[in-house]
Amino acid sequence: MLVLTRKSGEGIIIGDDIRITVVEVRGNSIRLGIDAPRSKKIHRLEVYERITNENRKATQWEPVDLQALSRKLDTNKKQPRP
Amino acid sequence: MKITGTRFGDIEYQEANLIHFPEGLIGFEQLRDFVVMPNREGNLLFWIQSVEDKDIAFLLTEPGNFFLDYKVVPDKTEMAKLNIARPEQAHALAIVTIHPDKSVTLNLAAPLLFAPETNRCLQVILEGAPYNTRTPLPTV
Repeated sequence: MLVLTRKSGEGIIIGDDIRITVVEVRGNSIRLGIDAPRSKKIHRLEVYERITNENRKATQWEPVDLQALSRKLDTNKKQPRP
Repeated sequence: MKITGTRFGDIEYQEANLIHFPEGLIGFEQLRDFVVMPNREGNLLFWIQSVEDKDIAFLLTEPGNFFLDYKVVPDKTEMAKLNIARPEQAHALAIVTIHPDKSVTLNLAAPLLFAPETNRCLQVILEGAPYNTRTPLPTV
């Protein structure tokens, strides 16, 4: 990992189309300004990791789980309307 | 073509019917092509099987079956990736997670945008929206 020291108002450039600027430093928080093409998705790391984890968990089902869930949904669906 | 040894045994598929993920799924960026498997026992659920990794399959459903006002509209960049001209050519699908205690949740925070006309699919993250990665499945 590349580690750089930057002051408020300074920035870095990644490739030739992503600019990240330190907008403000306050206590242990920093505000970042990011200029990047719209096609680059930018997400908070913890959100991205939460989705990655959820996707991994979502691959862990077994055929028996699918059958049980299908039966449950099917039964609920077939109940007569009040 | 054939995938051998999936959790459902060997699966035969036609290449023309594959769903293509130009960016993969989040955390599974290397997996680009999936076979859609209909679920015989109930039409609310279906699953997609990776062509590239026999162990990877996702359960999907149309979130609109359970959440009537749930709507995801693709932006211009997403429409380009899906190769469609109008936002209504794509609709949202949700990944279903079955937890070890058998509880069931939908990931409404990161739905899939699916374009049936181009067979392309994209997982998007709805940041700032009030949707959870683990929304309990309501009773129908």
